[in-house]
Amino acid sequence: MATALTLESVTKAFPGIVAVNAVSLQLNAGEIHALVGENGAGKSTLAAIAAGELRPDEGTVSASGPVGLVHQHFELVGRLRVWQNVLLGREPRRGWRIDVATARTRVAELARSNGLDVDPDAFVDTLPIGIQQRVELLRELDRNPSVLLLDEPTAALAPAEIAAFFATIVKLAQRGTAIMIVTHKLQEVIDYASRVTVMRHGRIVERIDAKASSVEAIARAMVGGELPAVAERAAIERRPLLQIRALCAGEYERTVDGLDLDVQSGEIVGIAGVEGNGQTTLADAISGALDYRGTIEPALAKGIIPQDRHKEALVMNWSLVDNAILGRQHGAARRGVTIDRKRAASDAAWIVENFDVRATSLQAPIRTLSGGNQQKLVVGRALIDKPPFVLAYNPTRGIDVGAAALVQSRLMEARNRGAAVLLISFELDEILALADRIFVMYRGAIVGTFDRAAADRSEIGRLMAGAR
Amino acid sequence: MKRFTRAIGGPLGAILLLVVLMSLAMIVAGTSPIDGFTALFGGALGGVNQIGETLVATSALLFPALGIALAFRGGLFNIGAEGQLLMGALFAGAAGAQLNVPGPIGIVALLLLGALGGGFWGAIAGWMKARFGANEIIATLMLNFVAAYVALDLVSGPWRGPLATGAETAWLDPRYWLPTILPHTRLSLGIVVALAIAVALHWVFTRSVFGYDLRAAGEAPEAARRSGINIERLTWISLTLSGAIAGVGGASIVAGELHRFNTQLSPGYGFTAIAVALVGDLQPLWICVAAFGFGILESGGLAMQASAQVPKDAIHVIEGLIILVLAARRYVSTRTEAATS
Amino acid sequence: MTSLIATLVLLTLIKSTPLIYAALGGVISERSGVINIGLEGMMATGAFTAVCTSYATHSTILALVCGVAAGALVGFVLAIAATRFKVDQIVAGTGLNLVCAGGAAYGLVLLFNQPGASVQVDALGSRYWMLIVLAFAAAVALQLLLYSTPWGLRVRACGENPRAVAAAGLDPLALRTYAVTISGALAGLGGAFLSIGELNIYSDGMTAGRGFIALAAVIFGRWNPLGATAAALVFGLFEALQYVLQGRIPWLPADAMQALPYVAALIALAGITGKVRPPLSDGVPYER
Repeated sequence: MATALTLESVTKAFPGIVAVNAVSLQLNAGEIHALVGENGAGKSTLAAIAAGELRPDEGTVSASGPVGLVHQHFELVGRLRVWQNVLLGREPRRGWRIDVATARTRVAELARSNGLDVDPDAFVDTLPIGIQQRVELLRELDRNPSVLLLDEPTAALAPAEIAAFFATIVKLAQRGTAIMIVTHKLQEVIDYASRVTVMRHGRIVERIDAKASSVEAIARAMVGGELPAVAERAAIERRPLLQIRALCAGEYERTVDGLDLDVQSGEIVGIAGVEGNGQTTLADAISGALDYRGTIEPALAKGIIPQDRHKEALVMNWSLVDNAILGRQHGAARRGVTIDRKRAASDAAWIVENFDVRATSLQAPIRTLSGGNQQKLVVGRALIDKPPFVLAYNPTRGIDVGAAALVQSRLMEARNRGAAVLLISFELDEILALADRIFVMYRGAIVGTFDRAAADRSEIGRLMAGAR
Repeated sequence: MKRFTRAIGGPLGAILLLVVLMSLAMIVAGTSPIDGFTALFGGALGGVNQIGETLVATSALLFPALGIALAFRGGLFNIGAEGQLLMGALFAGAAGAQLNVPGPIGIVALLLLGALGGGFWGAIAGWMKARFGANEIIATLMLNFVAAYVALDLVSGPWRGPLATGAETAWLDPRYWLPTILPHTRLSLGIVVALAIAVALHWVFTRSVFGYDLRAAGEAPEAARRSGINIERLTWISLTLSGAIAGVGGASIVAGELHRFNTQLSPGYGFTAIAVALVGDLQPLWICVAAFGFGILESGGLAMQASAQVPKDAIHVIEGLIILVLAARRYVSTRTEAATS
Repeated sequence: MTSLIATLVLLTLIKSTPLIYAALGGVISERSGVINIGLEGMMATGAFTAVCTSYATHSTILALVCGVAAGALVGFVLAIAATRFKVDQIVAGTGLNLVCAGGAAYGLVLLFNQPGASVQVDALGSRYWMLIVLAFAAAVALQLLLYSTPWGLRVRACGENPRAVAAAGLDPLALRTYAVTISGALAGLGGAFLSIGELNIYSDGMTAGRGFIALAAVIFGRWNPLGATAAALVFGLFEALQYVLQGRIPWLPADAMQALPYVAALIALAGITGKVRPPLSDGVPYER
């Protein structure tokens, strides 16, 4: 069994954190290897080092050939065409010009031989996310890599697409490419991987033979114990609260056209769907960040948990106190023309206390907190005024398991208190665990409704992929 | 390398750089730095008269620097302070010739007119940015030139003072002169007004809801927008206020020192004020200190030129270098689509 | 009447040429992802260096070359500040403008012993039209460079998503450095035309905001070399109009008319922004 990639005692530190700590790893040609760990464990950093994008502080990386990396968030140029993205840096020439015809044919051929259907001439930002991923994959495949690393490759794929994706991967492995998949989808690990490496806090804690293991065993290795419990679901009377009718908003791929939705008090409504089907448009329309046609009634106080805390929810250089009142500075935290500083401080203290936010002090800049703690502050701020309606958009994305469990608990508690919670999530498991009712969203419309008791995972999966 | 930049890139580093570069300029001109700095400080602080002039320059710089800092805290780069200052001075000078009210009322009126003129000029850029998303850097700079030519045209012709020898308005009635607060100097009450504005601005930044919104818009535009802040309205208000403060500065020069308007009243205060604002780290109270430092340079510079043969323009080069070095401190979020649309 | 139109056309070409060079500089810089506010300073540096070189060597060719080189040097400084030190590009550009303008003023006193203006030097004289033709040639060349060559593709990718460029195995910082240095060179050439092409002298403040009008032309031209050139021609036309109309229409205020090109830039800015989109990573420093 030929070795395709060797990482020897690799260490990488960033200010305040050691992301990767003395990691040694070996990949064999033709194997499908899974790298798992909860958010913040260092998986993406390790992948970047293995691909040569980051230089390690210590240790060595050696590969038998080129190493390709398909990123979790694609690194593509939206305004350029598919072939330009795929061949960037390796453009075929004719004299001083780019040989466009050759480029197009080369990309078309590469796509065909790998079973990835894509139009070489299309502009990347017009493509749905699932197709964009193919472009990134093609870019890496064009370099004929000995090792192919994929970071969360199925996050934005519908269940049916996932099968097709893995068919491609298996074929590549059979041709001798070493494949490493960074993922948190443990069922896929069991189904397709041969070996599993588990990371926690930057170190390797376990190496598992996937064929001899189980989802539960791997999950326990990831967390290093039992998973924290989520709050219990209470029986509660429900009443109609929020009505969305004929909602039209967004543009291009992100359009929502004529959507109807009802949310009741005392329930969690889950919106299931693959990323890129209008969820952001829906969330932005409800939270008031986007203009829309149609009605969202009545006007209610809303607690918002946006999907991107760095850009949409926090001022990274500000303290916890200042961030605790962002969004409330015109109402609860206002005293005439001034900011109610005492209120801000006490609110920040309350959130820290009740949402387990770990920080050195209330005055510390929020960028010094871990992602999980930042998100807990955002959630605490959304819930502190006990709003009748809560919008949670991917509330546990990119945070550690402990923080995720707390966030989910608090959402359940809000529901138990009588709030209406609209949960939009790309993680079907999260929806299935929390929601009282499930709506499936596809291409900007609701295509299916399920009660909790009648929720059928495979049926939901089919609807998510666009089946009728 | 990055830590080096961070250390040297702060206001203290800038001051250090200033001293080093000025010494170099003096050596190049054939003077020893000791003689050069003696001439500089002597020229700036050597006597009551000199101190008065230094504080006059301080006052003239402080107004536009505060305005620039306000805009910049909100993420808007106002390089039009020169034009806004000019328009404020123009309004005050032109109206002052026509006023016929009791003295104190007249003085207040002149300052308010200054705010009006500068605010109007800032509002044009603010409206263009809020309504059309037009780049405020280009807009404010273009408006500088428009202000200069419009002012020149008006005071050469229709608004020219009857006894004036050049392009300037009539002299203000002495009733409307800002009282001198340092006897035997040109220093007027204007500096007190400037300091008052600085204190007020400090309070606005740290305590008021407007200040909170402004800072949020500057540091995290998308989060600010989603928190309920009306970014368009904020943009327009900030640039108007920014221009208004600079405009009061112009009126202060007219009412306090010059007692009339002519187009030469600012030797680039609006641009030096950018350096002042940055060295003051965009904080109003520190900006007062920075303005004093640059005031020393402005007024001592002439003496330094005369006795130490170091041309005044060397100071402008050094000011530019200070700004360049301070660019390493990222005061506001990098300009993104959210901030400009 | 025809002679009036001929004069207008010629004057437009003359007035547009420095704007075209600077605008092309702006295009290539912003396409790579760096906002170049320092075009004004780079023009001033080019103008001043050209005059000094001509004074010292009496060679206009050498003067042009040195003007270009000086502009490129200033461009390089901005490039390093933006890529290596990841500074706020707008503040840095503003600082550079002050340094260059002050430096030229300082230089006037040092070299010519008089503030405000230099002495008259050897200039292009009747051969000035060569630089006008060159400007248009440069526009076409830049268009081809950006849209047909591999290097141009990579530079454009840098301006949109430098991470994609890095993922493709290239160095976005190096690409940006080249682009911004070339940008300075072009602006320097535009400045040299101002001082020894159109005239034969350097005077304080002769760039008069052209570096910023050029930025407006870049936006109005949608970050496209040919588009920016067309926009520069329009602004040049307004400047020419102001000369031609002066004195012919009695009720038009002569001084206020000088504001015409600036007002034109303002109106263009108001009209076009919001309908066009700059390169996605324009002004955003790339951090590994």
